Amino acid sequence: MRVLVSWLRELVEVPVSIEELAEALTLRGFEVGAVEPQPPNEDGSLDAVLDLEITTNRPDCLSVIGIAREVSTLYKTDLRPPSIFPLPDTDSTPLLTVTVDDPHLCPRYVGAVASVSIGPSPPWIARRLEASDIRPVNNVVDITNYVMLETGHPMHAFDFDKLSKPEIRVCSGNIGGTIKTIDGVERRLQPEMLTIADPEQACAVAGIMGGADSEVTETTQTVMLEAAYFNPTNIRRTGKSLGLTTDASYRFERGADVAAPPTAMNRALELLITTKAGTPQGPIVDHFPSPPTPIVVRLRHNRIGYLLGQQIDETFIAPTLNRLGFKVRLEPDSDTTAWQVQVPSFRVDVKREEDLIEEIARHHGYDRLPTTFPALTRPPSLPAPWRARDGLLRRLLTGCGFSEAITYAFIERASAQSVSEDSENIVALQNPLSEKASVLRPSLIPGLLDSLIHNRRRERQDIRLFEIGSRFRRNDGESQALAIAMTGSATSKHWSSPDRKSDFFDIVGVVTRLCEGFGVQIALEQTRVGHLVPGQTASISLLATHENRTPIGEIGQLCPEFATRRGLTGSDPVFVAELDLRPLSVDKFDRLQANPVPRYPSMTRDLSVEVDNSLPAADVRGTILASAGSTLVEVKEIDLYQGEEIATGAVSLSYRLTFRAPDRTLTDAEVQSSIDAVLRALAEIHRAKQR
Amino acid sequence: MNATTDITAIRAAFETDLQAIATEQDLQHVRDRYLGRKQGTVATLMRSLANAPAETKPALGKSANALKRDIEQALSKKGTALRTSMKSTDSLDVTLPGRELAFGRRHPLTIIREQIETIFETMGFETLQGPQVEDDYHNFEALNMPADHPARDMQDTFYLDQSIPGTGDPALPATLLRTHTSGMQIRYMETHTPPVRIIAPGLVYRRDTPDLTHSPMFMQVEGLVVDQGITMADLKGTLVEFLQAFFDTETKVTFRPSFFPYTEPSAEVFISCVFCSGNGCSVCKTTGWLEILGCGMVHPAVFEAVGYDPELYTGWAFGIGIDRVALLKYRVEDIRLFYDNDLRLLEQFPH
Ligand SMILES: [Zn+2]
Repeated sequence: MRVLVSWLRELVEVPVSIEELAEALTLRGFEVGAVEPQPPNEDGSLDAVLDLEITTNRPDCLSVIGIAREVSTLYKTDLRPPSIFPLPDTDSTPLLTVTVDDPHLCPRYVGAVASVSIGPSPPWIARRLEASDIRPVNNVVDITNYVMLETGHPMHAFDFDKLSKPEIRVCSGNIGGTIKTIDGVERRLQPEMLTIADPEQACAVAGIMGGADSEVTETTQTVMLEAAYFNPTNIRRTGKSLGLTTDASYRFERGADVAAPPTAMNRALELLITTKAGTPQGPIVDHFPSPPTPIVVRLRHNRIGYLLGQQIDETFIAPTLNRLGFKVRLEPDSDTTAWQVQVPSFRVDVKREEDLIEEIARHHGYDRLPTTFPALTRPPSLPAPWRARDGLLRRLLTGCGFSEAITYAFIERASAQSVSEDSENIVALQNPLSEKASVLRPSLIPGLLDSLIHNRRRERQDIRLFEIGSRFRRNDGESQALAIAMTGSATSKHWSSPDRKSDFFDIVGVVTRLCEGFGVQIALEQTRVGHLVPGQTASISLLATHENRTPIGEIGQLCPEFATRRGLTGSDPVFVAELDLRPLSVDKFDRLQANPVPRYPSMTRDLSVEVDNSLPAADVRGTILASAGSTLVEVKEIDLYQGEEIATGAVSLSYRLTFRAPDRTLTDAEVQSSIDAVLRALAEIHRAKQR
Repeated sequence: MNATTDITAIRAAFETDLQAIATEQDLQHVRDRYLGRKQGTVATLMRSLANAPAETKPALGKSANALKRDIEQALSKKGTALRTSMKSTDSLDVTLPGRELAFGRRHPLTIIREQIETIFETMGFETLQGPQVEDDYHNFEALNMPADHPARDMQDTFYLDQSIPGTGDPALPATLLRTHTSGMQIRYMETHTPPVRIIAPGLVYRRDTPDLTHSPMFMQVEGLVVDQGITMADLKGTLVEFLQAFFDTETKVTFRPSFFPYTEPSAEVFISCVFCSGNGCSVCKTTGWLEILGCGMVHPAVFEAVGYDPELYTGWAFGIGIDRVALLKYRVEDIRLFYDNDLRLLEQFPH
């Protein structure tokens, strides 16, 4: 809302400079975005336009009078609204009739007819419109806009002679009907859109924009002026479906003043007469079948203090509210001081006591309220378990050289499909910003890959990223996941030795360490996943016992084709893993009990066996663990060999076994018998040969 | 056996051995040979003195001790000489870089979020986490924003093409991406009785075209305090404390009236510009103030929606953009940089 200070001064005394005024309005909730100097007025006084930001709850301040009312409260100066102009007497019957189909959508309709002589507006009107960013059109249209800026109430002027009959009907748009609005656009009408119609056609989209057919032009001789009140919700919906916001609809959808139409009409007719733009014909029609009862709110003095934390002087309350337009009456027989406050119809935002307390707080000044700290009346809760979980994840991953990424929740459909087993499971947005962000991610991998690509394109070869975030699937909704991605060297480049490229077992190592950090073991199994390279893909399960496995994710090398399609350059493979975070928790550490530190030495034995190449190493390990007896405390895979001396289709696996007993030093014989048992089991179960 | 001649012989032998020492190892051998606790020459000599005639004992003991002291001093001197004259082939170029142990960084928005959480947790707040896909009731209606409320325009919303299972009531499937984390406050109040003292950080979504200061996804923290007798002065006190803890104890804070459908009275909070210390610059548009958060006293309609008695309980709420705070605190110039995850940016932040 742009307000010309000289116009404001006409309606209220402003006892301060323009800069002080701007500062004071800002502190009362009307942020002055800019003070634009204007040429000085004829009397030499300085002038300026204040560009005010008006919050959606204050449509009454989308007017000079509304701001003037705030100024009058601020400086305790008198408001000088234009007085009601004595219109010439007329005893003739009205020249038009008004029918309203649905009084809920149009509770009030005021119309008047006037003969006019179209021409340019007088300079003072044109100047005020221009200062308010409204283009002057002609004297009649300018008067409707002038009245809107001054009173806040939108008006419209129709070319009376272009109406098929002087019978105005406020009704729903005909199905299939259209209207050409004054901006030249042909618009399709819907039944839920309110129109102003003559007996033949819609002449205006009510409260939003007039029709081109009845537009006031240079040749217009008679006009019908409209000042009505329209239902805010309906205006808002219609404006949205037409994609149209006008100065009128902006005010109507926030809530106009149902009492304003006659005042606005009187002011418009006054300006027609005084600027010699026209003469009213016949009386004003005011269709207002059921005026609403004014809202009365009880305001308790002690409640103000209870809410604000500071008792505001009683003598400040009533005068402040009065100046703002409220009618205040002290309750006579109340135990505590309280007022009955009648809310003016232009204050559509005030419905309850708190709304009045805000008015008091605003004009008292927020900065004058004290600063206190609320007492704790109950011990605070302990942090939720996810805090510790996410904190541990971040510590472990940053410790492994991974940096944290945050990527958008919305991705391209093609990417989502590449990582989704079932495209039916992808959740799409109804109103995406672009095709590149049209569905919710079913997996964190595509976003993380895009971040990896971003870095690769900026000459970064060694990249390790992770993200903790939500993923979305139609069947099970939103869930928390972790994704990690790595590419480039496995070790930092160092002058002492050549570096090594990351491979599958690097990312397996990271995930293993991560899960160890949570005190859980994992099992990997060869599997196939669409976006990962076959043969280098595994499912990850949490291992509670050997049989009890909870699947939590997948790990592997990203299909180079998928990565290239997303724009990845360079030849280094990319390894990724994604884990469901729901099964991971730090709870178990709450019950941790430490084992005694071993008192007796351990003994190690190395052992190599030749087994079928297709046998998963995890099975061999499982057999070793199951057959060695209780003194086996650790098994480590130390070598894998294929080639000379090894049969085709076979592989040699070497293990280092560590034995220890809690109560004695083991003898060679004891360890040997365990080794023999292991070898027997390996031979029986896997037909393994010792080497 | 004559102990006196022994001492002379040992001294002579030691002189020869001392001259022959070339390395640290030689030094150790010689030290062991003469000064070894059990087999060392000096130790053996000392033991033999026990059998010496009583009249020569004191003088012999004195000479033996002098011998021991001389040998110790000579070896110590030799050791120092050896170490200073060590040849360069045995030393490293210590100025070469060590092997790098890779370590990654938390995202700057995580760092800021955790800082904010820590400040509020020390003030007794509980941190909540909730769903990013929400139902209309928890995102809007319960917050005094019924359908067609103009305030909904303040938060242009992304809608799902079809609803998906929500986190709570199956009758309320998720239909939109939350525009703020307020839905979690509603859920919390639905299941807890006052007092309430919570913060709800998380990603939120608004259908804004990306630019320097707007991103369709960004991170926010909201806070809520409800109890009997909670006042707007408490709101001011707590937020001033937080802002000064987070930015700087010298930070000036001011509250201006504003509008949010879910608070009444509502306020916008400004801090003295971090770029110009309030003197006026291009970032603060020469005002010296930066808008930092929105807040207010919880609207009674919100309490009614969750079944709290608004006559008995009062409370306040606030919301702050983590991205905005991060832009200000770290002087990052473009909000979109936070979502590029460019390592050249990420690696500037602490571990
Ligand atoms: Zn500044």
